[in-house]
Amino acid sequence: MNETVLRVENLGISYRMRNRWLPAVRDFQVRVRRGQIHGIVGESGSGKSTVVQGIIRYLAENGRTDPGSVIEFLGRDLANASRQELQKLWGAQVSIVPQHPMSALNPSIRVGEQVAEIVRLHAGLGRAAAREAVIRAFQRVNLADPETLLERYPHELSGGMQQRIVIAMALITSPQLLILDEPTTNLDVTTEAVILDLVRKLIREEQAAAIYVTHNLGVIAQLCDRVTVMYAGEIMEEGTVNDLFARPLHPYTFGLLNSIPRPGQTKRDRALITIPGRPPSLTELPQGCVYAPRCPLAIEICRQPPPLELPAERHLIRCHRWQEILRGEVSISAEAQAGVDDIAIADLQREHLLTVSGLTKHFPVRRSLFDLLRGTSPLPIRAVDNVNLSVQKGRTLGLVGESGSGKTTLSRMIIGLTERTGGEITFMGLDIRNHVRERSKDVLARLQMIFQNPQNSLNPYLTVGQSIRRPLMKLLGMSRQDADREVSRLLRAVNLQPDYAVRYPDELSGGEKQRVAIARAFASDPALIICDEPVSSLDVSVQAAVLNLLARLQEEQDTAYLFISHDLSVVSYLADYVAVMYLGEIFEVGYGRDLFEPPMHPYTEALVSALPVPDPRRRTRPIPLSDDIPSPRNLPTGCRFHTRCPHKIGRICEDEVPPWRDEGNGHFIRCHIPLDELQAKQQAYAQPAAETAWGLMGKEQG
Amino acid sequence: MAQAEQITETEASSRKSKPLNHSIAATTEFLRLLFGQLQSGLGAVIVLLFLLLAVLGPIIAPYAANDQSALPLLAPGAGHPFGTDALGRDVFSRVMLGTQSIFVTAGTGTLIAVVLGAAVGLFIGYQGGLLDEVISRAIDAFLALPALLIALVVLGVVKNLDFVAGSWQALLADSSVLLVIALVYVPIVARVIRSSTLEVKTREFVQAAQIRGESRVYIIFREILPSVVPALVVEASLRFSYAIFLVASLGFLGAGARPPSPDWGLMVNENRRIYQVAPWALAYPAAAIALLVVGVNLTSDGIKRIVQKRG
Repeated sequence: MNETVLRVENLGISYRMRNRWLPAVRDFQVRVRRGQIHGIVGESGSGKSTVVQGIIRYLAENGRTDPGSVIEFLGRDLANASRQELQKLWGAQVSIVPQHPMSALNPSIRVGEQVAEIVRLHAGLGRAAAREAVIRAFQRVNLADPETLLERYPHELSGGMQQRIVIAMALITSPQLLILDEPTTNLDVTTEAVILDLVRKLIREEQAAAIYVTHNLGVIAQLCDRVTVMYAGEIMEEGTVNDLFARPLHPYTFGLLNSIPRPGQTKRDRALITIPGRPPSLTELPQGCVYAPRCPLAIEICRQPPPLELPAERHLIRCHRWQEILRGEVSISAEAQAGVDDIAIADLQREHLLTVSGLTKHFPVRRSLFDLLRGTSPLPIRAVDNVNLSVQKGRTLGLVGESGSGKTTLSRMIIGLTERTGGEITFMGLDIRNHVRERSKDVLARLQMIFQNPQNSLNPYLTVGQSIRRPLMKLLGMSRQDADREVSRLLRAVNLQPDYAVRYPDELSGGEKQRVAIARAFASDPALIICDEPVSSLDVSVQAAVLNLLARLQEEQDTAYLFISHDLSVVSYLADYVAVMYLGEIFEVGYGRDLFEPPMHPYTEALVSALPVPDPRRRTRPIPLSDDIPSPRNLPTGCRFHTRCPHKIGRICEDEVPPWRDEGNGHFIRCHIPLDELQAKQQAYAQPAAETAWGLMGKEQG
Repeated sequence: MAQAEQITETEASSRKSKPLNHSIAATTEFLRLLFGQLQSGLGAVIVLLFLLLAVLGPIIAPYAANDQSALPLLAPGAGHPFGTDALGRDVFSRVMLGTQSIFVTAGTGTLIAVVLGAAVGLFIGYQGGLLDEVISRAIDAFLALPALLIALVVLGVVKNLDFVAGSWQALLADSSVLLVIALVYVPIVARVIRSSTLEVKTREFVQAAQIRGESRVYIIFREILPSVVPALVVEASLRFSYAIFLVASLGFLGAGARPPSPDWGLMVNENRRIYQVAPWALAYPAAAIALLVVGVNLTSDGIKRIVQKRG
């Protein structure tokens, strides 16, 4: 049963750039057995995807596996295999599930045909037999109604269904090795949970070996048996998931684990641990330990390259100081900082800065020729429907929801980039016009925004200084000299040197760009900043620094945030108050921590249960939702969640709009089920206090 | 904030830059890439040589354009490296002198087309709505007609008008080829720049400008324009090569430059009847057209490659 499927030793992968071979991956090793899922985790640029491409020898034109690499797949040497041998292997004995399902599906061929083609090619089945095989494969990945599905085109399916088809496609030839490269990164948590469940089940059943590449430690903890932590093309640490999460020996592993907010943890508990600096580029790798420039424990010896050692059986580590760390002689825990001011929840009641009532956006749909002939008009897309919410001075309102919930449209109406079709917005007693063009300078200065994508939020042709200076001169009427002085102050406030003012965005890392964008938003001294997914495109270590920064600035400047994210852990970490949105409506509001304690709305429950908790000892039991989110053009009647609700009680859910129920303490739930019944139906998701479950490094060993 | 300060120190790298250094570095890098590849380097060298001829033509040319001092139909040789034509004019001098006129006509025409086209494209692209719809459809309709046909019709009309010499209408009529080139290429440039603008205007830095209440003009010229300049440069170089060809074609068809001006296209036309007796009179201006068009095209491809590589 424990047969080794894949053995990799001394793997090096290089890319040719300007007539030089750059070593993208160095001295990599891994051993994967049957029925095992091996995780590879790392930030962007760590070489995690390159490794898996190298293992199956599926590299870009300018890539190669270095001489001396050993890749043994079921006793066969892949490192020196010919192109023909490899081609026979790919898709048959080795399958890949990529990040974007559409990159594996041909948009112009019906999905049934595409999957059948693989069986016909690799198993030599006839047309009818292939069709049967495809139907069985679809059933295995829990796709409902496989017969009709065969006739569909990829674009007619949701992202979760597409990814399941790709998984069915990958498994249909019964491969011995399955490679999953961030297959759930673009999916909503509820869909991700379903896919992870499926992968876990199928790997056990098939007794195949799998490598799962991801940046998400929660997914690793919930899915994998063993994990390799990669950084700058090298293994930092490898071990069983239980060992690694409970007792990380490498400072990088420790940093990664503690830089993500755990479910239920808030900014009031403690600041997140950040990893300073940025990963090195391939052309200027540090001498010695690649992590040393960012490592809080780096000492003189770290200038020498550390060997890959085996502290215990089946545990690998590349660090000079692991023995000291193991014995608890050095620790990073001293670096952990206190959270922001510990104001009791009751003190949170402050004046309302922004109040939104009945806010609505219906996007008209163009009349088709068919509509014209029949004299009908199509129904509008109801992106946001009758939303009420308020943000208090100096506090954070978090807004969570899956993609398509309308949270971005809501924020764009408040900032004035999208014109509302109905509803009122009041902000500091000022007149809030529909469109940003009609708003007064005062409103513009006091209401600002931080965008999701730092690559796009700064003009590449303006220096950092020019970008930050503009709102100061435009909105506050500052002179050039005053503005320049203020730019330096703002840059320092976001932990950047004032000399960054003369740089261009392409000289900055993603995290630095986002900090510049934050400085620009704070420039006009706003009372409220709308943060639309400000950390979702950042690596976890950088994300922690940005979250800490936002929390600190809020404390210093008494600025309120409307913080939008799909990531419940991030929202509940930063937000004082959280609203849960689904299909254009708000279904639950409450204080951050309350959302992890029942009673809660069945939708919130599903979201919370689907969160992959970064702790292998706490297996999550996701409540499966069908991944068909109804179209906002054709909304369900009654309660909009009834089509997916696991606790649906009957006709009432389909016919009547649910009432708001007051749980007390500012916690409101919109559901037909009475609160006490909700409580009885739900499991508790409250997290153990942050310190005990994880322990800060050095503490547990004592 | 001990940890926070640490970030600052490690991230502050030694590289500093000022806007001027930045653009010098960008230009150097651009030239390195352009001349780094054989095709585009060759193209650029050809264009630069012709540009040099355009400037130095009047100095190099041993004879005036219409100097008929030599015998007609002389074969290339000493004194007349490209021979003479049926009227005894020195072909070498005429080709040299023609360089300037083609550069001025095609170049200025392209420049006007690019400036106007970019302005229209940026404006309708950013504005959107009904105005964009109307202008875009008009452009589409215009583009359905062949450029040469439009040029011939317009020039035909202008030619038959009779203006008082020295009046502004007459001045306009004299530069009619140049204006026709601008007219024909404005919609094409506008369409390309419009589509680039549509892409750039969705980027978040444009939204950031909107929420600080910037005016339309500021957003279009300060925020969007720099990002469409690469596309504009590619388009300008491509339009220039088409313009050269168009000027030559009009000259050949007799709709452009009038005899006896030393226009390459016109020369090809004038000398095609005698090509069996004096092939050189036809071959040299034709070769000049071909070489310049190929040179500009190679350069244009090179620019496109560099711009696209940078994303």
